[in-house]
Amino acid sequence: MERYDIAIIGTGPAGLSAAITAKIRNKKIILIGSSELSTRIQKAHTIQNYLGLPAVSGEDMKKAFCAHLDAMDIKITEGRANAVYAMGSYFSIQSGEQIYEADSVILATGIVTGKPYPGENELLGRGVSYCATCDAPLYKNKTAAVIASSPQEEAEADFLAEIAARVLYFPLYKDDVHVSGKVQVINEIPEAVTGSGKVEQLKTKNGSYAVDGVFILRESVAPGQLVPGVQVEDNNVQVNRLMETNIPGCFACGDIVGKPYQYIKAAGEGNIAALSAVNYLDRKKRGNENA
Amino acid sequence: MVKKISNNDFSEAKNSGFAVVDFSATWCGPCRMLAPVMDDVSEELNGKVDFFNVDVDENSELAAEFGVQSIPALIVLKNGKKVDETVGFQPKPGIMKFLNRNM
Repeated sequence: MERYDIAIIGTGPAGLSAAITAKIRNKKIILIGSSELSTRIQKAHTIQNYLGLPAVSGEDMKKAFCAHLDAMDIKITEGRANAVYAMGSYFSIQSGEQIYEADSVILATGIVTGKPYPGENELLGRGVSYCATCDAPLYKNKTAAVIASSPQEEAEADFLAEIAARVLYFPLYKDDVHVSGKVQVINEIPEAVTGSGKVEQLKTKNGSYAVDGVFILRESVAPGQLVPGVQVEDNNVQVNRLMETNIPGCFACGDIVGKPYQYIKAAGEGNIAALSAVNYLDRKKRGNENA
Repeated sequence: MVKKISNNDFSEAKNSGFAVVDFSATWCGPCRMLAPVMDDVSEELNGKVDFFNVDVDENSELAAEFGVQSIPALIVLKNGKKVDETVGFQPKPGIMKFLNRNM
């Protein structure tokens, strides 16, 4: 498999800035995210404090960022990273069905909104799951609930319905729901997952449903789930001034590491993260040569 | 070395003083990622801990017996009794910490 020097995850100001610096330092990079960059940028009305772009609209800022990427011949690999695995000497990044490998990783996926449901953390792995395609086969002849934050998750529910006896689908979005006839759509707001030792019920505002498992499918994965083993506090990845996480070779920058949520701060941190990653790669290379 | 369990035959793991059993499946991405980490850990703890791997599709009775609902799941057995478990991929330091707290 192709091995990149640095995988950069996220296409907001932090990720883009990291990509630009890494490219200048002649590293082989993969930038994973959306070619639309960040929806938060596009929606921003005016940004007054970004150096060199006075009173810029979100839309114009996006254009300026895209032009910068083009000028440096940086391509975005379209995708949403589901998981980053620290394999020891390298990282394995799962993005949908794709797997990428890199010697170092820069996390720049932005803030995560939404708190866990009561019972979610306690019953994780005991019926609570975040990946239908991963755990579906364990629900043969069983009942599973799917809490879906976007229509993208409908395919996961359909897949699950092929295996499970019964699938209850709780859409948290306003769009029309298109799922197979085997999936039962319930328009109620989930409130808690309950059970002793394992999942037994999903409670909603209106009542409760007896289930064997609950799949909670959110648009943005909490950092601790995105990178198993990374140190997280209040949903922020913990870093030092060099943007190093507790996992060697894994760096984080931008909103994912915490406030203030400012574009110029994110871009500055992206720059630091990229330089730290370059430094890490150099040290690693020297270590290998000496070994 | 990680020993593969087949035909639901769990006797060797049950007779071990300290066994770690990795419940996994071929279709599970995180399980495939965890396998090389477990190989590495088993080399490091060679002689101190016995390592086993259970494919939940081939050994569904065992998966049911231990209440495995999400994989990969690591279950620690002392003299055949389950004393601890953890679910999901973890890098090597995390696995070592989990095992050390049971040593």
